Amino acid sequence: MAANIGILKRPVSTDGVWGWITTVDHKRIGILYGVSAFIFFLVGGIEALLMRVQLAQPDSTFVDAGTFNALFTMHGTTMVFMVVMPAGAAFFNFLVPLMIGARDVAFPRLNALSYWLFIFGAILMNFSFFKAAFPDVGWFGYAPLTTSEYTLSSSTDYWVLGLQIMGVGTTAAGFNFVITILNMRAPGMTLMRMPLFPWMTLIVSFLIIFAFPPLTIALTLLLFDRFFGTNFFDTAGAGADPLLWQHLFWIFGHPEVYILILPAMGIVSDVLPTFSRKPLFGYTTVVFAGAVIAFLGFGVWAHHMFTTGLGAWATAAFAGATMAIGVPTGVKVFNWLATLWGGSIQFKTPLLFALGFISMFMLGGLSGVMHAAVPVDTQQQDTYFIVAHFHYVLFGGSIFGLTAGIYYWFPKMTGRMLSERIGKWHFWLMFIGFNATFMPMHILGVLGMPRRVYTYSVDQNWAGLNLFVSVGAFIIAVSILLLIINIVRSARKGEAAGMNPWAGATLEWAIPSPPPHYNFAVIPTVRSQHPLWDEEANAVEPPPLPAHGEPHMPDPSYWPIVVAFGITMVAGGLLIWQANTWLGLFVIAVSGFIGMRGIYGWVFEPVAEESAERVHAHH
Amino acid sequence: MTTEHAHVEEHNHPGPRQYVIIGAILAVITLIEFGVFYLSIDPALMTWIILILSSSKFLLVVGYFMHLKFDDVRFSGLFFAPFLIMVSIAVVLMALFFNLTR
Amino acid sequence: MQYLSGIDDHRTSTGLDNRKMLMWAFLGSDVMFFGTLIGTHLIYRNRNLSGPQEEILSIPITTISTFVLLMSSLAMVLALAGIQRGNMGQFRFWTAIVCIFGSIFIGFQMFEFTEFAAHYGLTPRTNLFGSTFLVMTGFHGTHVAVGILWLWSILFASYKGKIHQGNSLQVEIAGLYWHFVDIVWIVIFGVVYLIGAYGAEGRALEDAHHAARAVGIG
Ligand code: HEM
Ligand SMILES: [Cu+2]
Repeated sequence: MAANIGILKRPVSTDGVWGWITTVDHKRIGILYGVSAFIFFLVGGIEALLMRVQLAQPDSTFVDAGTFNALFTMHGTTMVFMVVMPAGAAFFNFLVPLMIGARDVAFPRLNALSYWLFIFGAILMNFSFFKAAFPDVGWFGYAPLTTSEYTLSSSTDYWVLGLQIMGVGTTAAGFNFVITILNMRAPGMTLMRMPLFPWMTLIVSFLIIFAFPPLTIALTLLLFDRFFGTNFFDTAGAGADPLLWQHLFWIFGHPEVYILILPAMGIVSDVLPTFSRKPLFGYTTVVFAGAVIAFLGFGVWAHHMFTTGLGAWATAAFAGATMAIGVPTGVKVFNWLATLWGGSIQFKTPLLFALGFISMFMLGGLSGVMHAAVPVDTQQQDTYFIVAHFHYVLFGGSIFGLTAGIYYWFPKMTGRMLSERIGKWHFWLMFIGFNATFMPMHILGVLGMPRRVYTYSVDQNWAGLNLFVSVGAFIIAVSILLLIINIVRSARKGEAAGMNPWAGATLEWAIPSPPPHYNFAVIPTVRSQHPLWDEEANAVEPPPLPAHGEPHMPDPSYWPIVVAFGITMVAGGLLIWQANTWLGLFVIAVSGFIGMRGIYGWVFEPVAEESAERVHAHH
Repeated sequence: MTTEHAHVEEHNHPGPRQYVIIGAILAVITLIEFGVFYLSIDPALMTWIILILSSSKFLLVVGYFMHLKFDDVRFSGLFFAPFLIMVSIAVVLMALFFNLTR
Repeated sequence: MQYLSGIDDHRTSTGLDNRKMLMWAFLGSDVMFFGTLIGTHLIYRNRNLSGPQEEILSIPITTISTFVLLMSSLAMVLALAGIQRGNMGQFRFWTAIVCIFGSIFIGFQMFEFTEFAAHYGLTPRTNLFGSTFLVMTGFHGTHVAVGILWLWSILFASYKGKIHQGNSLQVEIAGLYWHFVDIVWIVIFGVVYLIGAYGAEGRALEDAHHAARAVGIG
């Protein structure tokens, strides 16, 4: 079996930089995702601050209109695809195997490939800054605006290709977590005993694998239009429909917003019980509400298109479906509140952020239901009211929820506690800054301020509120600074965390912090939803390693990064092709070869040790 | 798991003989479809006939060649859930684009 | 919670194999992929400002290529049945047939594409029909090509002893992929070719006469 076809032997060392580059350990990949997401969070945040400086005063000339377009495009794209999604992936990776009692994900190398595709795609897109300019077509890249007829700049090509590559990586990760959660649970860990976070991960993974293909197609069609002169979005010359892109994008786009929020919902559903010291109220209901939201999420896409004239019947049906989707969302909110009700509540930082999540997300949900009503939406579409809505759900929801996760699980990931004192400052500053920034946007929207305008004049009377908003944005920035300080301080001299600092109920708290690379010395057998609460187990010591030594874990591998590099450079070759046909073709051929070679190397990689990925089924 | 599985196979799984029969049925249905195309009938009727014939081919391949009929029901779920979502989306899209919703 | 010894690390919670489940999840996702492509083609029907559309589809030729692809699926199950019974000869013979039939199908498709370009001037740039039809069927053809490459690799590996009765699951998974490509074609043949070209056939005959006259044989 060990016929090693190639130059690269399977590496064994996990030390140093190469150890990280070749890693297939879900915890390390989780940390890579987390750190990358945080860096992009700073990038996207700076873009936001630049916009707020521009908008702080009327008739400002801090940036010009074109730059402003680039800023809001990259801010949106970055925050959605390079921050919230990979931050979710960071938690999926680090925690899901721990929480379901597994040693790794189902396909460790595929997992590494997902990360490398994500980071390469993100870099490729941002690389446009050095070659052309930042993409400036909006985060949803509406065609025909994005066709070469209207946007000559190759920045759009970078946007298309970068997004495409990130999408492939994300989809691969989606497959991985579907299989991991369905198939890799510890004995006794039935689906209905799983904590909420793995549950929401499972649902998000399904959303990913079913919602990303329409985006992949939309991007491919646009790519073909731009590179090969097809007519999918050529409205003027070929009679294409200007709504095609909008449909395809939002068929993906609405499930996408649930991809962004469900991880945070899962985190909060696990944080609340820990800090109110009682089980989640209505566990089954919360699980099913999540599933129903996901399912309905495929049937509401046209609420982003109410003003395009879909016809009365269609508009009414989509409005009804959109309002219906608010019901399971509301159900969840009530369950969270009922979980707190009568609990012995400990106001630790993770709980504060979870409470921030519930309250702020609820406001966002309410404004969502407001523009589910079509006549209202006709007024609000493309105004700052919409901007307020999606920041309440995405920042007030996703970011607050993910931050709760950071405070909750940082001790597990690093073995050290974050400072509660700085944490509380962080929370209150962020909470106040957040509301100062986004609450006035509702009013601005109702006053008629359109989104995406780069400036406005004095006599429109939007100046005061805009200044207020900009100050709020800087308060948020300060709060993020506190988070950085907290992390850096604690990483070096934080209080030691121990196995289970919060007295949590779920499996990840039954092993040392940080966990050994094989997670569980002995795979636990689970008998209830709260394995660490329901039994003598509160103080259980992890069992010693079995006599035959450490469990076998898969060795590191070079192939994931090689394959990801090949795929990315094919895209790079396409970009070169536009300027220089032969050089482009050459690059495509070489990187295509590298990619194929990588796949074969991967498939025939010697089985150094047994891994779930390589176990042979015996028929 | 695997031994059980093999056991089930013995009893339920079609063998090469059945496969060939199904292959023949598929070929015949295709031939019928080909014939229907040259009939002068109401296009709506023709559409339904082809939809039914094509669906039966689809189900035969999925059910027998892909073993879904005999395999774990979870595989069917993984496959048919998105299938239903996609068909619904496509139907809605066509209704919208052919102005059936005004 | 307990720590029992002797738990098999490699059992799966459902008893189903990880890789087979991965393939089914992938096929589910691919349903959305092809569904979007076919859907796009359908909603763009009859919107062309100029150029040929469904009337140029050749039903007789495509019926034959459809038949070839269907038979390759039959060969695929026979190959799988072979290796599951340890009959490597049967497995190799039928796998080779699958690859050959798949290649014939691609040959038909290449013929169709060049024919369209040469006789009707239809390329992806011509009109909406050219774009949606050629990209959709092109993606299907690419899937077929990947399948051929995959099965070819498996066949090759079987000669090196890397594929045998013990890991026939590898063949089963590749087979699932192959059948899926087949059912996508069943849908395309029914919906895009037969239903799509039905009303247009009269025009096709007319056009054929035009074309025949144009090249001097009518
Ligand atoms: C109660 C549930 C929700 C309802 C009823 C709802 C409804 C809507 C509607 C009708 C729009 C279109 C407004 C317009 O453009 O005129 C919209 C936009 C948006 N929603 Fe929601 N929404 C809900 C929850 C969420 C969640 C949970 C997220 C994300 C985490 C989200 C993110 C967005 C985004 C990003 C947009 C704007 C997209 C854009 O135009 O750039 N929404 N929402
Ligand atoms: Cu939406």
